[in-house]
Amino acid sequence: MNSPSESSEYLLLFRGTDWHNGLSPDEIQRTMTDWMAWFDRLVADGRCLGGQSLATEGKVVSGKSLHVSDGPFAESKETVAGYFILKVADLDEALDIAKQCPALAYGMTVEARPLLARCAASQRVLDQLAQTTN
Amino acid sequence: MKTNQYLLLFSGPDWTTGLAPQEVQEMMDRTHAWFDRLFGEGKAKGAQPLEKTGRTISIKNGMIADGPFVESKESIGGYLLLEVADEEEAVAIARQNPMLTAGLNIEVRPVADICPSVRAALEKTALATA
Amino acid sequence: MPQLTEHLFRHEAGKLVSALTGIFGMARLQLAEDVVQEAMIRALQTWPYHGVPANPAAWLMQTAKNRALDLIRREKSFHEKQPEILASLERPAGETTEAHFDTEIADDRLRLIFACCHPLISLEDQTALALKTLCGFSPAEIANAFLTSEAAVNKRLTRARQKIRDLAIPFEIPAGDELTTRLDGVLQTLYLLFNEGYKASSGDRLIREDLCEEAIRLTRLLAEHPSADFPHTHALLALMLLNAARLSGRTDAGGNILRLKDQDRSTWNPSLIGLGLMHLGRAAKGDTLTEYHLQAGIAACHATAADDATTDWPRILIHYDQWMKINDSPVIALNRAVAIAKIHGPAVGIEAISKIRQKKSLESYYLVHAVLGEFEARLGHFQIAVTHLQKALSLADQRSEQIFLERQLRGLTGL
Repeated sequence: MNSPSESSEYLLLFRGTDWHNGLSPDEIQRTMTDWMAWFDRLVADGRCLGGQSLATEGKVVSGKSLHVSDGPFAESKETVAGYFILKVADLDEALDIAKQCPALAYGMTVEARPLLARCAASQRVLDQLAQTTN
Repeated sequence: MKTNQYLLLFSGPDWTTGLAPQEVQEMMDRTHAWFDRLFGEGKAKGAQPLEKTGRTISIKNGMIADGPFVESKESIGGYLLLEVADEEEAVAIARQNPMLTAGLNIEVRPVADICPSVRAALEKTALATA
Repeated sequence: MPQLTEHLFRHEAGKLVSALTGIFGMARLQLAEDVVQEAMIRALQTWPYHGVPANPAAWLMQTAKNRALDLIRREKSFHEKQPEILASLERPAGETTEAHFDTEIADDRLRLIFACCHPLISLEDQTALALKTLCGFSPAEIANAFLTSEAAVNKRLTRARQKIRDLAIPFEIPAGDELTTRLDGVLQTLYLLFNEGYKASSGDRLIREDLCEEAIRLTRLLAEHPSADFPHTHALLALMLLNAARLSGRTDAGGNILRLKDQDRSTWNPSLIGLGLMHLGRAAKGDTLTEYHLQAGIAACHATAADDATTDWPRILIHYDQWMKINDSPVIALNRAVAIAKIHGPAVGIEAISKIRQKKSLESYYLVHAVLGEFEARLGHFQIAVTHLQKALSLADQRSEQIFLERQLRGLTGL
C-alpha cells in the first residue's frame, strides 16, 4: 500500500556497454525483438512511461574547474546504456520487471531506483506553463 | 531548428558536507533557478532526483541475483533530459550547474537516435521508388 | 510493423560484409566485419524505441555505410588515396528492394567465396572464415558447430585473414582455367562443410542443421551465378538438398540414429526433394560424370522411394558401379555391397565385401563390422553376428552409433 510520501515512479538504469561484444547477428536479432516486445508490453500496460538508449559517446563535466573530458564510455560494465521510467506499485514490482530484461543473460545489470516526486521547481514551471496554454 | 536529446546524469559526493545551512540554502536556490530557466526555455524535457535506495539485478552463475544497490560517489543522484541543438550546447548548459563547485559530476550522454542521415537517405529512396 | 524473418540479421550480415569488402578491399575484411556488427548493435539500441524500419535490410546497409564513412574520414591518408571508396560510400542507397540488392551484390558474394576458399588457406581456416564472413555466424556459434573452443576458432580466423593480407589474395571471380580449378576447391570445401553438419564427426549431436543450411545457401549462390553455373555445381547442390530433405527423419524422438529402412519418410521435406531433383536435372546437362552426380543420383533414388522395399536398388547399384570407376575407395565399395545385398541377399553381400580391394584398410572402420554383423544375423549365424557387432561396437566412436549397435546386440543376445 502506498503511503503518500512513497514514490511510485522508478528508474531502471541499464548498466553495461560491453555485454553485446561477440554477440552473433542471430543473438542480436533475438535480443532486439525480445527487448522490443518487453518495452511495448510495458508501455501498453501503462507501467513504462518511457525509455531510451544512450550513445556510448558523451562528455563528463566535473569539479570546480568545470573540466570537460571525453567520457570513457566504451567497454565498461558500469556505464549507463539506457533507462526506463516505470510507474508501478512498489520497488518489488519494478524489480520483477527488471528481471525480465533480455540482456541480463549476456552480462548487463539493471539498477532499480525510486524516483522522487518531480522536483518542486520544475513542477512549478510546468504548472505555470499549463495555466498559460489553457 | 533540428534538435537532439541529451541525458544528463548527476553523481557525486554529498555536496552539503562542510557547508553552513545558509550556504546550502543558497546553493539550492541557485540550482532551482538553473532548472527553472531550462524548463522555461523548453530545453528541459524532464528531470527528477533519485532516492538513495534501490536494488540491482544481474545474472550470477546463470541465475538472477537480486542484490543491494550500494551507494557510492559514482551513484547517480538525478537525471535531466535536454533537447538542444548539439552536444556543445548540452555541455555548456551542464557547466552552468551551480553544484559543480561542490563536487557534482555530470555525464552528458546523447540519446541514441535512429541516425538522422540514415533516415534522410531512406526517405529519399522511398520517394524515388514510390 | 514489419516482421523480421528468422535469421534476417545473420543472412544480411553475410551480404553486407560482401558488399563492404567490395568497397574497402580484401585486405580490410576485418573492417567490413566490424562495421556490419556495429550497425546491428545500433539496431539493437534504437529499433526497440523507434520501431523496426520499413526496410530493415536497407537500414542496416545504410548504417554500416555511414559508420564506414565516419571511420574513413578520420583516416586522412586513406581519404587522400582512395577517393573512389568515399564516392561509392556516399552514393545513396539505390533501389531498396531485396531482389535488386541481391542481384547487385551477387558478384561481391561470389568474390568473397572465392577469396575465403582460397587453396592456400587451410581447409579448417577456410570454413571458419566462410561461416563468419559469408554466413553471419559468430566465433562462438562456429565453435559450437565444430565442437571446439571459441579461442581456437578465433585463431583460425586470424590466420585466414593474415594469409589473405600476406598473399594479397584478390577480391575477384577467377576466369578461364583458373576458374575451373578454383571452383573445384570451393565446391570441395562446401561439400565438407555440408558433411560436417550432416554426419557430425564427433560428439553426441548428430545433426547440425545450420551447417547444412549454410552449405546449401553458398552452393546455391554459385549455382545461380553465370560464372559458376556448371553441371557439377548443380550436382553438388542436388546432393545437398536431397540429403538435407531427409535430415529430420534420421533420428528418433530420443535422438538416436535410425537406419534408412526405419525412418519415417513422412518427415522428409518434399519441396527440398523437388528442388534437389530440379538441380539434378540441370546437372545432367553436361557430359562429365562427377562423384557429386553419382552421390546425388543415389540420394534421389532414396528420396523418391516410398519405402525401403520399393527403392530402386538396381539403379542405385548402377550408380555405385559408375562411382567405383571414378573412385574405387573401399568405403564406396562397402556401400555398394549393401546395395548388392538388397538385391541379391545377405550371402551375396558378404561375398561382395570379401572381394573388396584393399579391404584391410576397412579393418578399423566400425561400419564394415556392423554391416557384416547384420548380414550374418539375417542368415541365422548368430554367433558370428555377435562377434562382428562386438567388434563394431569397440570401434564406433560416435555415441549414437554405439547406442544403435548396443541395441542390435541386445536383440541377438537378449541381454
